[in-house]
Parts: sequence; structure tokens; C-alpha cells
Amino acid sequence: MTDLRIHRHPILKYVRGNPLKFYFEGEERTGYENETIGAALYATGLKEFSHSFKLDRPRGIFCAIGQCASCRMRVNGVPNVRTCITPLEEGMTVERQFGAGEKPTNTEVRKTFKKELEADIAIVGGGPAGLSAAIYAAKFGARVVLVDRFPKLGGQLIKQTHKFFGSRKHDAGVRGIDIAERLIKQVEENPNIMVLSEAEAFGYYEPATIAVAGKDTIYRINAKKIIMATGAAEKALLFENNDLPGVYGAGAAQTLMNTYGVKPGDEIIMVGAGNVGVIVTYQLLQAGVKVKMIVEAMPKIGAYFVHAAKVRRMGVPILTRHSILRAYGENQVEGATIVQLDDNWQPIPGTEKDVEVDGIAISVGLRPTYGLLDQAGVKIQFVPELGGHVALRNRNLETSVKNIYVAGDIAGIEEASTAIMEGRIAGLSAVIDMGLAGDDAKELRESVRAELTELRAGPFGARIRQGLEKVEVL
Amino acid sequence: MKDRAELVIIGGGVSGLGTAYQLAKRGFTDIVVIERDYFGSGATGRCGGGIRQQFSEEYNIILARESVRMFEKMSDELGQDIGFRQGGYLILAHTEKEAEDLRRNVRLQNSLDVPSMYMEPEEALEIVPELNIEGLSAAAYCPTDGVAQPFLVIKGYVDNLRKMGVELMDHTEVLDIKVENGEIRKVITDKGDIETRMVLNAAGAWSRNIAKMVGVELPNKPYRHEIMATEHMKPWLKPMVISFHNGVYFSQSHDGEIVGGIGDPNEPSSYNIKSSLEFLERFTSVVVRYIPIMRKVKVMRQWAGLYDVTPDARPILGPVDELPGFIQAHGYSGHGFMIHPMVTKLLAEYIIDGKTSIDIEPLNLRRYTSGETIQEKNVVG
Repeated sequence: MTDLRIHRHPILKYVRGNPLKFYFEGEERTGYENETIGAALYATGLKEFSHSFKLDRPRGIFCAIGQCASCRMRVNGVPNVRTCITPLEEGMTVERQFGAGEKPTNTEVRKTFKKELEADIAIVGGGPAGLSAAIYAAKFGARVVLVDRFPKLGGQLIKQTHKFFGSRKHDAGVRGIDIAERLIKQVEENPNIMVLSEAEAFGYYEPATIAVAGKDTIYRINAKKIIMATGAAEKALLFENNDLPGVYGAGAAQTLMNTYGVKPGDEIIMVGAGNVGVIVTYQLLQAGVKVKMIVEAMPKIGAYFVHAAKVRRMGVPILTRHSILRAYGENQVEGATIVQLDDNWQPIPGTEKDVEVDGIAISVGLRPTYGLLDQAGVKIQFVPELGGHVALRNRNLETSVKNIYVAGDIAGIEEASTAIMEGRIAGLSAVIDMGLAGDDAKELRESVRAELTELRAGPFGARIRQGLEKVEVL
Repeated sequence: MKDRAELVIIGGGVSGLGTAYQLAKRGFTDIVVIERDYFGSGATGRCGGGIRQQFSEEYNIILARESVRMFEKMSDELGQDIGFRQGGYLILAHTEKEAEDLRRNVRLQNSLDVPSMYMEPEEALEIVPELNIEGLSAAAYCPTDGVAQPFLVIKGYVDNLRKMGVELMDHTEVLDIKVENGEIRKVITDKGDIETRMVLNAAGAWSRNIAKMVGVELPNKPYRHEIMATEHMKPWLKPMVISFHNGVYFSQSHDGEIVGGIGDPNEPSSYNIKSSLEFLERFTSVVVRYIPIMRKVKVMRQWAGLYDVTPDARPILGPVDELPGFIQAHGYSGHGFMIHPMVTKLLAEYIIDGKTSIDIEPLNLRRYTSGETIQEKNVVG
């Protein structure tokens, strides 16, 4: 059987745990205890995970972080399970769904517990922003509950094997994965912080309650302050067959290879030459995937020069003024048709070219995941400079709903380093606003703010600064 | 925007739009419909879409029966699939008293040509095999009851009314109604004034505020009712399942979600339509008790809307004595969507002909002063 697992990697060592047997549509397969169902199936060569429920079109893994619907399957008789974030268990039965799922047949009564938690601060999201908010709030004695959807904390940072830029005090030269490990350790060792992993914050209720669905427990967290740090989702791109299995976000490719050690494909094309596209291309090369080319609709490359130069040196052409016209293949990607664009972004007839690949990675930007904020009634505005819908807030990151703060990509798409700074500001603001900390916290906040301003200085931060002017209005 | 009209309808839910449609169908199109928010934004768009004929009181049964007949033809008539599905309503009883009520209601419903049937709990398993019948005393089932999609009905009305030349104004607020010499003269909105002699008050839970503008006191009170929907599944739950024992109702929509709610006897009257976690807990625990496999179905969304409740849980329809051009179409007490087809047809008859094919006198506002009220008992949600 196909095995897409990576066994040698220049940076990462994969800890897969013990092998587990499970059943995919009656057939026995092997996975590992640290894999999700989705990763284990993908590793054995499965591309077609589901069929869409209106038009019955085949769908494959697209986001790999539980934000889209394409990987839903029937697991142990329960429909619509997001296999990309559900840990694999021994003996599981997994089946594809064609259209909507059938009713559950599983009548096993797993005891569900109900727990009420009292906290000073509830933080939703365990990425760089959420972790930093927790650490800085706990520094001043706040009792923090941190809620995270995934089995492992760290958000997208745990997939970032590249070294960070910038000044030394902002962790330049340190790999994202190492920054993540440091933050996670600080959180896990802090007695003031309680972590709920594999737990989904599903609702905000007045006055400041977050409802959370854990594995076997429904939590009701009654907090005084709430920090939303739910991050972002990858944008999709409009082209023919953009839902064909094998078309996935660049972030999904990164999750598969860097978290689970599974190659997303053998030969792929990257769409988008921004930082994410170019950095993930480099990581794909490290994982042993051939990246045939990067196409970029803009006339110039958006990524930092150093990254772009590196992938070019490694033989990956970057075609600017080019885009993808269609994906083709029967039930999964067999190739992509690319095309040159004119100055009005229109395809130039006659320049179409077919490229044989088994994967198409899309990196055309991220958008904030603002659902929970919207549900809480926070004032939201669409700000293109910040990647999409973001909350209006004051300088301390408090939104229009008192006691709700935002930090990280949910507040505007930037980078891990700025997410960390925003997390600190939100965490400090929460403890200051609730009277737990005084002048020393305020001083600290000022210095963090200064660092953040420094990070956003220069031409790369210009757009962000424009965006912030529109939303820092409260 | 028109500055005069023969009739101004306040409220863009099924009550207002349905009446406009019934009037326009008969050639009466000099109408302006005013909606403060978007069409269907009030109780219509927030309701569970249930359509039931199993009431305890004769008049309601007849209105519901006639409405079902109209729902059956509505998709064709409007040229819009309204998602109407006749999977029936299965009513569950827990006590001997409730079983006796069902038996009596079924007899009354049958006498009025509604094909409901009384059954033992075991027989209910043939309709819903997933049902846990432990602790049930009886059930009643009417196969011609069903569900429809409220927003598709709204869309059908809006599209047809626009084609028929009726003026529809959404995001428009009525600020005042001017009365001179005992006659309506003008409706004042934030987009301008409309001269008119006739106003239909179809503003749902806000009808009492509209009535106040012309000095009419209504006994209606708003109550929050919460509701939720699960993930989509292939069709498996045929009927709407309800119980007057705990006020629960749930069904599978034609999109495949299980949609349902449960009443809270302690809910105070207010305009609050926020969602609560207590509701989710109460509703899901009751549903899981009836249908154990629901334990494995995920909740997708929850929301709330307002029941516009009258003292006898029956609507207030027709003119008021103090101001003849001021016609009422509200107070549906949670049953507006299901009986609106026949109600709006009768209101159109009243407006055009001055008389109706079914007497609407018993539902006139004056019943509360004359003391001639009959209580509807079969209320859920």
C-alpha cells in the first residue's frame, strides 16, 4: 500500500507513537496514535474523502485544521466527523459519505460530564497570540482557562520550521517550532493556567460565559474577561474544479508534512508567491516533494527576497503574471492548466499550458476567523488591508462588547511575531482592566506596544498601519 | 416611493406579505408594505416552520385545515419551491390525562375532516422507529401535517408581489400614524409619509406599539422562544415530534437539519431575543431522552424569536371599534406561520368584500372586553 509518510527530514523528527489498526470501508489499515484519522488515511494514499451534498462532487482535504467541510466522514457510526482534527483510535471504523451523512447508528452512551469553571480570563485559541496572552495575564496572578481545538497547543506556529526575520529581541533566527515549544512550556508549567485541549469553544453567552465542547465534557466557563485568539483560515481561489481532491491550502500541506510527517503529494504546483507560498514551497522541497513551479498573478513576488531567492536557487521557477485556469483529473488532481495574464489580469489566449501534478497548493492569503466574535455581537468591519472581517477595538484590543478582547490573526492577518505582541497586550489589558495589576503592568504594556510599533514600521507594515487606522477607533 | 396608497401594511412577515398577496391576487394592488428590518426578520424567519392541524379548539382546527390545503398548492402557485413536506405531526403524551386530551382532540379533529389518529406508544414506533417510548402513555398522529421553509415562503411572496406591482419597503420604520376626525390619514415613516385611509397592523410582537400610535391598547405580550438546528443529515425523521408535556418540538427540515425548540414556563415577557446556554441544555436533554441516537448529532446553530401572545393564545383579526380603518392581523401566539394562508385570505376578503367566508368575528379584539374568549390549550415551544 502507498505510504506517504516522511521518514527522513532535515529539521523535524516525527514522534508517531504506537501503530494502530483501523478499518476504512471494511479494509484494515495502519495508522499511528499521534495521527488524526485524516492524516492516517492521507498517508495511505486516500485523496477522495467525501462527496459534496448538493452536487455529489468528490472532495479531499482542503484546510487540514477543522475549518472546512471536505474531510467529513462517518466514524464509528457517527456522521460528519471532521477527520482532519479527530485523533485516530484503535479499531475505528471509517467510511466515506456520499452527500449528507446518514443518521447515527452508534447508540453507545459515553457519559457526558458537565463542568462549570470560574476564571478571571477565558482565552479562545492556543496559537502564538492565545499562549502569549495567557502567559502575560498569569504573570499578574490571573486565573486563566485556555481553550484550544487541537490535540497539541501552538496553533500554526508548530508547523513553521523556518527561521524568523527581524531583530534579535523578536526571535530573529529562531525557528517557529522552537518559539512554539517555549511558549507551550511556559503555559503548561504555569499553575495559574488551565488548558482545555481538543475542545471547541462553541458559543458566547452573556455576561462573559464561553461554552466549550470537550471530548466528553461540556464546559461552561464563567469569566470576567474573554480574549478571542482564534486565528485565521485560508482563502480559496476561484477556478474551474477548485474543489477537486488534491487542491488544498498551502497551510494544509504544511500541516500534513510538518505536524504529521505526511507528504501532501509527489509533484505539485504552488499558486501564490507571497511569504506563505514561498516558505511552504521550501518546506515541501525539504520534505522531498517536487514543486514544479510557483505561479503568481501579480507582476512581482510578494515574499521576502531571501526566501524567493532560496527556492529559485533550488530550481523552482516563479512565474509572475501567471495564474491557474483549471484543475483537471478524474476524481483527483492529475494536472493544472496555467495561463499568462495581461495587464488587466485577463488570461492571454494561446498561453495556456498543462502542468502534470498530483497536487495544487493555494496560498492566496488568509482571512480572520471571526465567527465567535460575530455571534457575541461585536462590531465587525471588512478591512481588506487586514485580510477580511475584523473587530473594531481600542488601543488595548478591547472590542465593542465590553470584556471581549482580540489578539493575533483574528484582529488582522499579520505574522506570528505580531500575534505574540498582541497577545501580550490583550493579556495585560485584561488584568489591568480588572484591577489585578497596576503601573508595572501598564509600563510593560507600553514597552510591548513600542516593540509592536517597531515590528510594523517600514514599507512591509504600511498596509497594516492603514488597516489599523480603520479599526482602532473605539 | 409612493406618497399615497389605498392600504398600508405594517410588517413584512407572512401575516403582512401574505395578506398583500391575497389582495393583489384579486386585483387590489394599491398597497405599500413596510418592514422595519428585512422581510421575514421577525417571527416568520425565526420559527420552526411547523404546520399542524391538531389543535384543541374548533376554530383553530378549521383555520389550520384550510391553510394546509393552501400550503399544498403554494409552491406551484408562487412558482417557488417552499420546501413543504407532509411528514405529519406526532404528538407524545406522558400521563393518562394527556392521553385523554389527545383522544378527545382527535375525535373533534376527525369530525372536522382532519385525518389525525390516536395511537398506543408502540404504534408510534412505526412512524419513528428511533423513538424511546419508555414513560409514554399515548400518541396522536396526523399524516397531512408537515413543515415548510419560512424564508422560501417569504421569497415567494416578495417576488410575486413585486411582479404584481405592490410596493414593498424594507428597512423602513413607521414613526407615527396620523388620525383626524376618527379616520386614519397618514402613515409617517423614516423614508417619507404615505397618505392612506387604511392600515393593516401585522407587526407581530411589535403590533402593540403600532396600535399605541392610534390610541388602541392591545393585550398582546412578547415572549422569547429559543430554537436550534443541527448538522445536515439524509432524511430519516419523518414527522414533527412534539409534546405538550414539556413543550418540546423538533423535525427534520427539507435541507436535512433537525430544527426544534422547547418552551420555558418561567420566561418573562420581554423583547429579549438573545440565545442562552440553558436552552441548549434543556432542549438537547429532552430530545436525547426521546431519540437516543440524537446524542451523536452535532448542534450547528441556535437563535431566538418572539411569540406574540394573546390572553387566549388565539390571533386578533379584523377591525377595531374605535377606528374602523385600522385592521388587526397579529397575536398568533406561536402559530402564525402555520395558519397564515387561510388567515390572510380571510383578511383580504374582509378588506375587499367587507365580509368573510369564515366568520372572523370571534377573533375580533372586542372579545377581551365582552369576555367571549375560548382558550387554545395545544401550544408548544
